This record gives sequence, C-alpha cells and structure tokens, in this order.
Amino acid sequence: MVFEMDSNIQLMLYLVPTLIGFFLVLPIGKILANPLSQRFPSIATERGRLFFGLILTGVAGFAVSIQTLWISSKVSEGGNFCASNTVFSCDDVIGNANYNVDPFFGLPWGGIGATAFCVFLYLAYSSSLEPNSEWVDNYLKLGTALTFGGFFVIALLISYEVEMEKICQYCTTAHIANVAAFVGFYRLMKLNDSGEWNQDS
Amino acid sequence: MKHIYDDEADIRTKAAIRVMSLFFVGLIIIAATTSPIATGTKAGERAPALEGKFYNGSGGWTTFNLESYWDSNWKEGDASGQWVALEFMDTDCPYCVRSAEDMSVNSADFDGSNPQWDGAVVNFIASVTELDISGHDSSRAEIEAFRDKTTGQSCASSDCGSRPGSAHAFPYIDDLDQDNMKKWKVGGTPSYYLIQPDGIIAWSSSENPGEDLRDAILGLVTRESAQTDGV
Repeated sequence: MVFEMDSNIQLMLYLVPTLIGFFLVLPIGKILANPLSQRFPSIATERGRLFFGLILTGVAGFAVSIQTLWISSKVSEGGNFCASNTVFSCDDVIGNANYNVDPFFGLPWGGIGATAFCVFLYLAYSSSLEPNSEWVDNYLKLGTALTFGGFFVIALLISYEVEMEKICQYCTTAHIANVAAFVGFYRLMKLNDSGEWNQDS
Repeated sequence: MKHIYDDEADIRTKAAIRVMSLFFVGLIIIAATTSPIATGTKAGERAPALEGKFYNGSGGWTTFNLESYWDSNWKEGDASGQWVALEFMDTDCPYCVRSAEDMSVNSADFDGSNPQWDGAVVNFIASVTELDISGHDSSRAEIEAFRDKTTGQSCASSDCGSRPGSAHAFPYIDDLDQDNMKKWKVGGTPSYYLIQPDGIIAWSSSENPGEDLRDAILGLVTRESAQTDGV
C-alpha cells in the first residue's frame, strides 16, 4: 500500500517522472525520445517531445504538490510522515506553521503548488491537442511567464529551508518540476516562433 | 444526418474539464484521508511554536522546545498524558506580580507531587515579555530574580524578592523581544493557556473571561477519579 511505503521510496514515484520529463524538454532529450518514438509516435517530433515532457512534469508536479498538502494535513493532526533527525526532514519544513503558508493569504504552499501545476497542465494539454490554434501562442507565452514567476516563490521557499536548516525533499521535487515546466514552455514558445512548429522531425 | 459532436466545441473546454477533474480528485483524496487541525491560539487549535531561551533555576539559559512536551498518541481520557499551563507575563506588570502567588499554588498542586491531586500532571511554563509601557524595563537577571524570588532586581517598582508566593520551580522563557507574544496574538498580560498533551489548546483566558486557570485545570484536565471534586 502506498501510504505504508517508506517516504523516500514514495518520493521516487514523483521524482522519476519529473526527471524524465525534464530530460525530454532539454535538447538532449532526443537521446531518450528517439528509441521510444516507434512505440510513442507523438514524441517523434520536437514539438511532440516537448509537450510530452511538459505534461509529464506537470502531472508529477501536481501529484507531489498534493502529497505535500496531504503531509501538512497529517502533521497538523499530530502525526508524522517523513520526520528525520537529518537535514532531509520534510515534516519539519511542511509542518512548520510559520512557513508552510503563503505570507499574504495564509494558503498552504502545497495547495498553491497543486493549483499552479493544474494551470500549467491546462495550458500545455490544451495547446498539445490543438497546436495550430491561434491562442496557442498566447498560452505558451503565459506558461513561460507563470513558470518564470515560480522561480521567485522557489527562492522564497529555499530561503525558509536555509533558515530552518532543513530540506523538504518533496518540495524540492515540485521546484524541479517548475524549472522543467519553464524550460518546456520556453522551448515550445521559441519553436512556435521559429516556423519549425509543424516540421515532421 | 445525425450530429454526434458539436461543431462549435472548443478543445480548451475539454482540457479544462479534464484538468479540473484531476484537481478535485486530488482534493477529495486529501479530504477523505486527513482531518487537518489549524494552528492557532483558540480552543481546539494546535498550539503555535514557543521559541527562545529558558531558565529553569540551574544550567543557565538554554533553548526551549515546546514540541518536546507533546504526545501525538495521547487520547482524550488518558490521565498519563502531561498537560501544559502556559502564562504570558511581564515581570513589571503589577497584576502579573500579584498572580505569582496563584502560579506558586497551582504549580505545586498540579505538578504531580501533590498526593491529593488524582489528575494528569500539569507542567507550568511562563513566557516573559517586556511590554511597550514606560517603566517596563526587564532583563534576564530580572526574570531570574522573579522566578527564584531573589533580591536585587525591581519588579513593578518593588524588589522581586518581595513578590507574593513562593519561588517558582517551572521554566521561564525569555520573550523580551515579544516574538512569542505576537505569534500567540496575546493582547495583554497575564494571559493563560491550558494545552492538552497532544498540543491542542483546551482553554485560554482570553476566550473565557471570568474563569481562572485553576478552574480550567479542575474542569478540563483528565482525572483518574471523576468523583474527586478538587484538591
């Protein structure tokens, strides 16, 4: 059962897809995509590969954000999930009432992350379904801007971790997913502008 | 010819519905598997952190950790769990000085050493602030003098050694910078909180005007024998 799994092994369920998605949106992602393109024709093209990697990181980022929200709820009940005496202790970070909500509205960071990744997913998924619609250009620009904005949130959350001298590995996975999503949106935006959007390979 | 699809349909609607479904499934899983408790200072909320250095009569000032008092496995009715009575006070506040006697009596009655008390142990803690009022100039030396009831420091215009009550045997936390007081949204001193062994606030003086800490302890702290009326 998932909830009885070691928290670091459970983390791999999110981290591995995030890293695969990140790899796919990088220029070197072709190395992974080419052998798989026979089985998954949609990733045979640059555009398809970028969309696939972006959607994969979006789903993984959403899932890990939901998991952090779940952890914060469990910690508030008095339970623990990934408490540790080492520097890697997500309970200490997510369970810290001084830092686990945003400073303006008091919303939990996990919920903000889940909402943000749903928006990224919507922008990427709808664009992938109708890549030649006129609104796609705006969606890709919006996705790039939003994921870039995520860097400031990541910087704030890392500053909290530095202050606490603890690292939340689940949060870090969500941060990696945001960076991967930015790379994906940015490269799709550039591809869309380049005129090679509809090329076969 | 029968239409089986909508010519005007937009793929964005389909994508939005699918992504929103995913979002709500995530929220439903959390709602079904957790019962989150908000952190705050009202009854039923989880007590916020209490930070700073504390003095306990010996060993100087060391780091205080309120979480070390909590037992997440505690269940209501379990008399073996230890409760916490927290006082926010200022050594120069006249009412705090007067209530020092009540704190002496209460801590002696409920700290587990009194054979007449058949209830759970109540650990007393004082968080000492310095209110922004003229004449309220405190220091760690003054906190030590107030706690230990020793002479040489001034507490509310009198020598700390002459304050009512006996010397206290419970920890005093240095909150002269008011960090804890602000975090707990304490409106004035003295303010009292009674906290369950699992870290949930059971009672606060601000929510129960007219009721004192002793009444709250007698009414709320788990007793081994429900027939016992008092100490």
